Amino acid sequence: MKKFIGYILSFGVVFYLLLHIISVASFWTLRRSAFYKPPFLVNEVKVSDFDYIILGASTGLTTLNTHIIDSITGKQGINLAIDDTGLSNHYLMLQHFLANGKITRYCVLNTSLEAFDRQHNFLGDNDYRFLMYRDKDYVFNYYNSLAPKEGFNVLRYSKWTPFLGLSYYNTELFFPALSSVFYPHKRNRFDSLGNYTYSNVTGTPALKNKTEKEIRFKNPYLKKIETLCKQNNIELIYYFSPDKTRNVKCFSSSRNVINHTDVFKEVPYFYDAIHVVRKGNREASKLFANELIKLYLIEE
Amino acid sequence: MLFNSLPFLIFLPTVFALYWFVFKKYLRVQNGFVIVASYVFYGWWDYRFLGLIIVSTLIDFCVGFELGRQKHEVKRRVLLLVSLVCNLGLLGFFKYYNFFVDTWVDAWHSLGVVMHPATLQIILPVGISFYTFQTLSYTIDIYRKELKPTKDLVAFAAYVSFFPQLVAGPIERARHLLPQFTEGRHFVFDFAKSGLHLILWGLFKKVVVADNCAFFVSLIFENPSGFSTLELLLGAVLFGFQIYGDFSGYSDMAIGMGRLFGFHLRTNFRFPYFSRNIAEFWRRWHVSLSTWFRDYVYIPLGGSRVSLYKQVRNVCIVFLVSGFWHGANWTFIVWGGIHALLFVPLLLFRNTKKYQESGFALRQLLPMIGTFLLVTLAWVFFRSNSIEAALIYLKTLFLFKAFDLDVFYNTPKYLLFSLISGFSILIMLCMEFRAFKRQRDALEFSFLGGLIIALLIMFLGVFKNPSDFIYFQF
Repeated sequence: MKKFIGYILSFGVVFYLLLHIISVASFWTLRRSAFYKPPFLVNEVKVSDFDYIILGASTGLTTLNTHIIDSITGKQGINLAIDDTGLSNHYLMLQHFLANGKITRYCVLNTSLEAFDRQHNFLGDNDYRFLMYRDKDYVFNYYNSLAPKEGFNVLRYSKWTPFLGLSYYNTELFFPALSSVFYPHKRNRFDSLGNYTYSNVTGTPALKNKTEKEIRFKNPYLKKIETLCKQNNIELIYYFSPDKTRNVKCFSSSRNVINHTDVFKEVPYFYDAIHVVRKGNREASKLFANELIKLYLIEE
Repeated sequence: MLFNSLPFLIFLPTVFALYWFVFKKYLRVQNGFVIVASYVFYGWWDYRFLGLIIVSTLIDFCVGFELGRQKHEVKRRVLLLVSLVCNLGLLGFFKYYNFFVDTWVDAWHSLGVVMHPATLQIILPVGISFYTFQTLSYTIDIYRKELKPTKDLVAFAAYVSFFPQLVAGPIERARHLLPQFTEGRHFVFDFAKSGLHLILWGLFKKVVVADNCAFFVSLIFENPSGFSTLELLLGAVLFGFQIYGDFSGYSDMAIGMGRLFGFHLRTNFRFPYFSRNIAEFWRRWHVSLSTWFRDYVYIPLGGSRVSLYKQVRNVCIVFLVSGFWHGANWTFIVWGGIHALLFVPLLLFRNTKKYQESGFALRQLLPMIGTFLLVTLAWVFFRSNSIEAALIYLKTLFLFKAFDLDVFYNTPKYLLFSLISGFSILIMLCMEFRAFKRQRDALEFSFLGGLIIALLIMFLGVFKNPSDFIYFQF
């Protein structure tokens, strides 16, 4: 039995060391890559002073195109939205943006309509994209403060045992790390300003009888984002993107709101219920650019 | 509790430590601990069904005990009947009730009679087909006077519920495993080390090979008519490896865990995809089930000592019953039927024993690939939800209408999963072929080999959204 325990211990120690070395090396590679938006922002984005940034989930990512907005407004923006994320992740992205010495005049927040009034937040499916920065306090606090919807919080414990996160998300982290060794500038489905659009398929028009969605801004992370913006002199703009089935009714007069849920009525711009096709992306970005110009005019 | 889950990662070392360091002194206490650990393992999934195992254990223990004492042939037959009715009754109710009701209704419906009988929302208790067959073999062997009944209820209950093989086999015969519970176990370093290696290898087959294949397979089988010939062929081949990785991986882990506790469990898979005909395939695939059917169905029907016509009949019965054992769906019965059709020509030409003892020669590569493809096509029925779906799959496959792999272009993630599957299948085949050529039953690897396998599991395995073990549903 002693021999067996010795065998297991020696196997375990060597295995653990190898795992740790590979994991640390993988995260080191990812941290120097442009594969996901957090390291992309640090490594590839040379500009520090932005006029606006877009925070959000897949709708923010696919509806607003900063190339188009910038060409109309003459301002400089970047799209930091990540698909499949919630308000808590947007707050984390804003912290990451500021922690890396970047500043912005406006922060445009666009996320799923359901997220605005969600009382309880969980770790999201794509929160692992910050794992290469797990040693930063704001990232660790984020992983520590939220629980996953089910199961074990691998993200939290990855601070000390990075192989947990790397193994659990191996196709999302280990293979991109391998690919980043050879292609350090490769981006994961977004362009040089963080935009992504759906392919140029023919879209469908909005429904004739749309329902009304009330937004009461109850999510506690909204307060956190608002506070962080205030502390850094950032003007927060809530942007509700075109929606095929619902119109938004906001219950807030003190907030900057751009409500474009009902702008595409007859035109076939929808990819699905909440996302637009390339043409829709172009038109929505133009409409948004005009709203941004108005805001700047008011200020000036 | 799944072998590839976090609770089991804590459960196994805890049980191992208590088994060897705390409860080793007294055999009965150690066996009692095995029962407790096994019931915790099973109850983790659904404690309500523990009652079924306990009932099955008590019935067969009492029947076996009485069979040992009873000399009167009629009473012995009644006792055997009690065991058969109870075990098969439980199995029939939980596994086949709704199937029989639906088939009955469909049959009347085809004659124009509409019926609305009550179907029940029955949950299939995990592993019921496995432990039922295990306890049945005990009473049948005693009835045949091939085994003496045990008087030790604790040892018998530990034999029935032994957690490594409780829910998905190997189906252990009492004459092989039960004596190991009545004799003292001793820890042997090499035996336990080989067990560890088997666990690692089984885990590799499950979480790397099977679970990576599962993504592409699920996509293809969901709507087969939307894919090209090449995609469907790939889907069928990957399912062949998925089910092999899944089931043989579980068996390897079970055997490996058995070794950690000082038990020798029988080999359940002997590299079946290197078989050179269907007969050899069935000597290598799910050996504990095929030998069970051989001993308790085929031989009682007359086996191969009857006329050729009856032999063919017997083979067909065994394959159809074996298909039905897998699940309450016509797809499994058709799958069994296909294997019968593939087996019968070998029987007619007296070729069933071919390759029994022979090693590998390069000229056998063609029959090997041929056998694999035939088995793969039969798997289409096994995996499909209905006969209609399987026929659509095969029809689209053999239309040879397109040979593109657009699925990878449209969803690149499937390409990654399929590449990992391909790479891991290659590793698996290379490793197993080496053992097959040496006519070994299990793999052996060094310290370094074990480390590489463990690292591959960590970095290629599926830990997020893993698939359930396929054979749990049986």
